[in-house]
Amino acid sequence: MGFRRVAAALLSAALLLPALSGCRGQAEPAQRTVLAMDTAMELTVYSASARQNQAALDAAAEKLAALDAALAVTDGDSEIAALNRAGGAPTPLSGDTSALLERALDLCGTTGGALDLTAYPAVRAWGFTTGEYRVPEQAELDALAERIDYAAVAETPEGWTLPAGMELDLGAVAKGWAADELEELLGGAGIGQALINLGQSTILALGERPGGGPWRIGVQDPAGEGYLAVVGLSGHMSTSGGYQRFFERDGQTYWHIIDPDTAAPARSGLGSVTVLGESGLVCDGLSTALFVMGLERGARFLRDHPELGVEAVFITEDGAISITPGLEGSFALAQGYEDREVTVLP
Amino acid sequence: MTRPVKWGLALLLLLAAASAAFLLLRPGTPGTVAVVTLDGEVVREIDLSALKEPVTFTVEGPEGLHNVITAEPGRIRVDSANCPDQICVHQGWISDDLVPIVCLPNRMIIELRGEGAQVDAITG
Repeated sequence: MGFRRVAAALLSAALLLPALSGCRGQAEPAQRTVLAMDTAMELTVYSASARQNQAALDAAAEKLAALDAALAVTDGDSEIAALNRAGGAPTPLSGDTSALLERALDLCGTTGGALDLTAYPAVRAWGFTTGEYRVPEQAELDALAERIDYAAVAETPEGWTLPAGMELDLGAVAKGWAADELEELLGGAGIGQALINLGQSTILALGERPGGGPWRIGVQDPAGEGYLAVVGLSGHMSTSGGYQRFFERDGQTYWHIIDPDTAAPARSGLGSVTVLGESGLVCDGLSTALFVMGLERGARFLRDHPELGVEAVFITEDGAISITPGLEGSFALAQGYEDREVTVLP
Repeated sequence: MTRPVKWGLALLLLLAAASAAFLLLRPGTPGTVAVVTLDGEVVREIDLSALKEPVTFTVEGPEGLHNVITAEPGRIRVDSANCPDQICVHQGWISDDLVPIVCLPNRMIIELRGEGAQVDAITG
């Protein structure tokens, strides 16, 4: 065997290797859109195997459908609808739904009732469940507010009870909980890189974005069309904003985030709140609670609860941006918004 | 040169030519393609960057609901629809892959697929 032959073999190997390494071991994406929880969810998973991707997407879609069926308050067959119909009688719930309800009620307590699962009759009175919007009279709102109290929900040996005339809805935490469940499911399916977009309001980012580094998520400008800032995300994120669902009547804007104290839309001066953290349920529930609290109370609440391990972006109705200190390195204003002042909260 | 070396070199040349051809002839960066699906089935794909003139078409769902869609160079919207909530109509034009147009009542989705955006998703 001559030297040249060896050289040629080596050279061709050298030429081939880079070409091959591009395909070998590289994570390939697979995407699926799932309609669940009244929104379009975009699931994108990455792995080296197309079969593994499809299996993970199948399992995730199945999980989302099951959660939707169990939790949808407007679906008469759901567990939550059964609890709401029971008129005070104990209603047995599945282990999963029970666990969710327990954790959600805990969070209601932590937020001092700024998050309250039993605000559902008020949401309905304003027409947000049907789209037949109306502005209830003050007396009606007072009566509704009287019956909003998460602390009245109780677990008994025979099941969960809810006083007659009260109704609860897990809508404020369901997507966050779904993100937690999908995180576990994807981990079990061997997927370490994924972008799980449960309809913009709740996002789970696993691993790194394809180009490397944390996933880049644009934060919607509550007063405009585009996004005003970009946040690096690895973990969970949820946003609550008045612009997500609203109607206008006599020059007034009424949105779907209800203040449990007044049974009326929460007007705290905020346009949106985005929460980042390790738990989807906590991010989802807190985004609503912080929106209700407003900037000052919300910022104080986060300082008082470091154990929640969350960071937040507050955007007021007049466009002022405040972020918690932990976001300082991963938050950047978007093109066209460079002049906007950003306050780093103490 | 011995015969095996010649063959080796010929093979090498062929490989080099093949990789060069692959790199040069690879299709150009795809433009923005709008994909319209009805209950998960693709009913229409339009390359918005290749459009010269606006195109208007109607997507009919199985339950008698329809969306009238206009595509223009670089953007697409639902002009009108007979769905109860009109959310798809109110969304207006979209020109990036960040937030799809969704008509839940008709289970109709318009998604744009194209070159990389600055961000991976929008929260809001």
